[in-house]
Amino acid sequence: MQHRLRKAAAAAITLGGLAAGVAGCGNGGQTGNAGTSGNGTAAGQQNITLWDIQTGDLQKAIQSMVDDFNQSQSNIHATVQFFENDPYKQKLQVAMGSHSAPDIFFGWGGGILKSYIDARDVYDLTDALNKDPQWKNKFLPSVMSAVTFDGHIYGIPNNYVQPVFFFYNKKLFDQYGLQPPKTWDDLLHCVQVLKQHGVIPIALAGKDKWPDLMYEEYLVDRIGGPQVFDNIVAGKPDAWSDPAVLKANEMIQQLVDMGAFEPGYASVGYGDGEATALVYTDKAAMQLMGSWDFSSVLTNAKSMVDNGQLGWFPFPSVPSGAGNPADVAGNPSNFYSISMDSKNKDAALTFLHDAVLSDNTVKRLIDLGQVPPVQGIEDQLKQAKYGDYMTFQYDLVKNAPHFQLSWDQALPPAEAQQLLTDLDKVFLKQMTPQQFSDDMNKYLQKQ
Amino acid sequence: MPGMTRATAAQSVWRWIGIIAGVVWLFIAFYPILYILLTSLRSQQGFLMGNPWLPTQTPTLSNYATVWNAGFARYFLNSVIVSVITVLLILVCALPFAYAVVRTRRLWVQGLFNVLLVGLALPIQAAIIPVYILVSKFHLYDTLAGLILPGVAFGLPLTVLILVNFVRDIPKDLYEAMAIEGAGDRAVLLRLVLPLSKPALLSVGIYNFVQSWNNFLFPLVLTQQDSVRVLPLALVNFRGQYTINVPVIMAAVTLSALPLILAYVFGRRYLLQGMLAGFSK
Amino acid sequence: MQPPLPAPELLFGGGRRAGSDESMERRTPWPRTVMMLPTLVFFAAFVVIPMAMAVYYSFLRWNGIGQPQWTGGANWAMVFHDPQALHAMWLTLAITVLSWVIQTPLSLWIGVFLAGRQRYKNVFGILYFTPLLFSAAAIGITWSYILNPNFGLVLSLLKALGFPADSANILGNPRWALFTVACVVSWQFIPFHSLLYQSGSRQIPETLYEAAKIDGAGPWRMFFSITLPQLKYTVITSTVLILTGSLTYFDLIYVLTGGGPGDATNVLAMDMYKQAFVNQNVGYGSVLAVILAVVGVGLSLVMLRLTGYNRMDSQLEGV
Repeated sequence: MQHRLRKAAAAAITLGGLAAGVAGCGNGGQTGNAGTSGNGTAAGQQNITLWDIQTGDLQKAIQSMVDDFNQSQSNIHATVQFFENDPYKQKLQVAMGSHSAPDIFFGWGGGILKSYIDARDVYDLTDALNKDPQWKNKFLPSVMSAVTFDGHIYGIPNNYVQPVFFFYNKKLFDQYGLQPPKTWDDLLHCVQVLKQHGVIPIALAGKDKWPDLMYEEYLVDRIGGPQVFDNIVAGKPDAWSDPAVLKANEMIQQLVDMGAFEPGYASVGYGDGEATALVYTDKAAMQLMGSWDFSSVLTNAKSMVDNGQLGWFPFPSVPSGAGNPADVAGNPSNFYSISMDSKNKDAALTFLHDAVLSDNTVKRLIDLGQVPPVQGIEDQLKQAKYGDYMTFQYDLVKNAPHFQLSWDQALPPAEAQQLLTDLDKVFLKQMTPQQFSDDMNKYLQKQ
Repeated sequence: MPGMTRATAAQSVWRWIGIIAGVVWLFIAFYPILYILLTSLRSQQGFLMGNPWLPTQTPTLSNYATVWNAGFARYFLNSVIVSVITVLLILVCALPFAYAVVRTRRLWVQGLFNVLLVGLALPIQAAIIPVYILVSKFHLYDTLAGLILPGVAFGLPLTVLILVNFVRDIPKDLYEAMAIEGAGDRAVLLRLVLPLSKPALLSVGIYNFVQSWNNFLFPLVLTQQDSVRVLPLALVNFRGQYTINVPVIMAAVTLSALPLILAYVFGRRYLLQGMLAGFSK
Repeated sequence: MQPPLPAPELLFGGGRRAGSDESMERRTPWPRTVMMLPTLVFFAAFVVIPMAMAVYYSFLRWNGIGQPQWTGGANWAMVFHDPQALHAMWLTLAITVLSWVIQTPLSLWIGVFLAGRQRYKNVFGILYFTPLLFSAAAIGITWSYILNPNFGLVLSLLKALGFPADSANILGNPRWALFTVACVVSWQFIPFHSLLYQSGSRQIPETLYEAAKIDGAGPWRMFFSITLPQLKYTVITSTVLILTGSLTYFDLIYVLTGGGPGDATNVLAMDMYKQAFVNQNVGYGSVLAVILAVVGVGLSLVMLRLTGYNRMDSQLEGV
């Protein structure tokens, strides 16, 4: 279940929270189906049901959001049901197939949502948003690409962004007079210097394989732009042989050859916390990871954060690359969509408009250390605890022309799994970039 | 020694080689166990700074407290519930079955027994996909019952086989004596077979308990929630939470084996016999 | 994870003597049917029916929830051309052979060594068997810390001996990962097989050795001309257990390597798990599951047949 792990981790982690259950399968937490039961059916009252998978404090935030909404409405009653992450995906799929989906459902955007759209199971929100520009412009544009297909919008962001970037150990950087690298060559320079001093330049959690993918996602985007991966998702013939993919894998192997990663990186896990431990025990200087890694450090080495020894910088630019160096990769947000089966689409729209990422909800999320993808919250973020970290994330996403959804989420499971295995082999130099492309072309699937 | 023959000299050389090899193996087999125990008594600081292969100067039980406070009691209880009920169900089902097989000379009975024996060679991995789907269909996903029921089914073949061989060795005269008294099958089973089978029941009971206690695949596939988590899965989860706090994890490892460690200390013979189950005469 | 395979003498001792009692025939079998029912229900519900379902699923294209599609033999046609599945089969074969080669001589020696009644051997035995007390998950986690390339015990030992900091990359090296896993698996199971051999050796009549001693036989000759032949059936039992057990190594690999690095330890059971529960490819996963079942049962039967185990009873009675 490696590729789902990140979602579980992400869902379980809150900034001030306890250690997150990121190992094995499943997020430690709440029981499912802990919804309130809405049975008040006064005349003319519209009931809508909402499915979500948040746990812990975030679940409470969603529950409060729904309660607020119900108080403000006289004839709409919303009910939320919470599910565990993995069973939820199945539950939703069954519900879609049997036309018993809830009015509003929680989703990840990308490939899964697209398959429901193709089956005409998802209500098109484009008109409603176009009629209300203020609503439409509320969200950070780069996030919306995960729910935008052929110019039509099918979902509204409902929680927070999780971009991927480099974390670094400031103590080690200062010790060797290094600056956070801005370009790929800067990065190589850092690697070289650190290596010379016997420090592990970059911690890589290769055992879980998906951290490998972050390099690929960024390099391909920096070199060839978003179109390269769009072709892969669309299943265009030989899409994996794009020169950008080949070049990206060459650059990855360049890092490997330089000894950029820790000894035995293919047996070091993120789920078991080792890769991050390398950074906070001063053994490694950098790690490319999703924003949730901050809370891992906070849990295990709070003093490092408090002393300002944990730094972060965006993935470096690649000279003469076609992609925009401001693009980010990661998990843009989660989304609510309205199902075609909903009998109360207007009520559901009202809910999305009034309740989702309302001012109160945004405030609650920020208090929990999360960065919601809405415009104009700079001041709120700055004042929050660990505000500099939250502002960094916010600016990163806000200024990004494109937010690349993690590839393993965007691709069908079988292709994603093969990608993870083959990419691991590229990192181990068991496969050449050419072999990688040739092999992956066999698994291309039309969505 | 002047009177020593060449043969005894060679023998003594071989004896010493044997002892030295025995000591080497002692290190290989037992040192990791010692490492678990020693590390679990270390402080986190002591683990990172000291020599991890030597005992600590300042042992502490705080790691055990940490583990216990991290919900370990719940996982422990879950494991106990699952293993105990599994074992009881297996024994309750298997003994009457074994009795019926031994005492009934019908082709179909022997046929059913042979079908059951094929189950001996079936690995649980081969059935896990449909078992997962069945368990979900019966709404047993994420319940302890969902772990117990398939566990019982996979424990039955070997248990039945061992009990059949045991019950078969009960002398014929005893059955006949009961028959003269006019005892029915139920009475024979309860008053004759059950008391006489106690050693065998203990032995297979231990075997099945160990299997169930250590089972990993069923809980991995059939459960997810924290509230029904059993120990082997909880260990993997602990590793994710405590990462390089190895002492805490080793305390969890030790606690997860606690019933077996206690059984080993106080009833080694029974435990080992149980583990061998039917594999050795 | 030892598969519940019996000592063959139990298996084949079975049918022959069953129901030799005349008096039993008079009884009505009805209460006995009731006595058999619970076992049969459990076995049917969670073993027989699932195996039938697995065979059925292996002809489907199905993600486990949506609408299944009948694809005929497509999955089966694919499996023998799928490099990943073939690689998994090769790894399974390799780990099976490795496990046997590592475990058998060591267990045999330890078992025979422990069969002696000296007190120090008793103490050794108590300590030798301690790995039996831990689950595969616990053992996997412990060894992953021992072998950890950055924080591990082996690394600190190597460093103390003056080796460089990157010298402990054992599990992360695709060349060594499978061998390392086989060693840890062996470490886990050797105690069990030693126990088997110890119990077997203790049943060898002392008189045989005394007679050989009078003939002036040395330890080597005694081992090969008395101990080994006498342990023949223990060797077979242990071998069947190792071979069928190797097919299904999963827990340890899941914890230690997750099938990696790359696919260096992605054995058949692991591949099956990933296909079914990660890729949601239930049909293809079922093909691998059925292969596991067929090979498992087949291997046991062939082993028993080839080694002439079914003639064993008569031999034993001759002793």
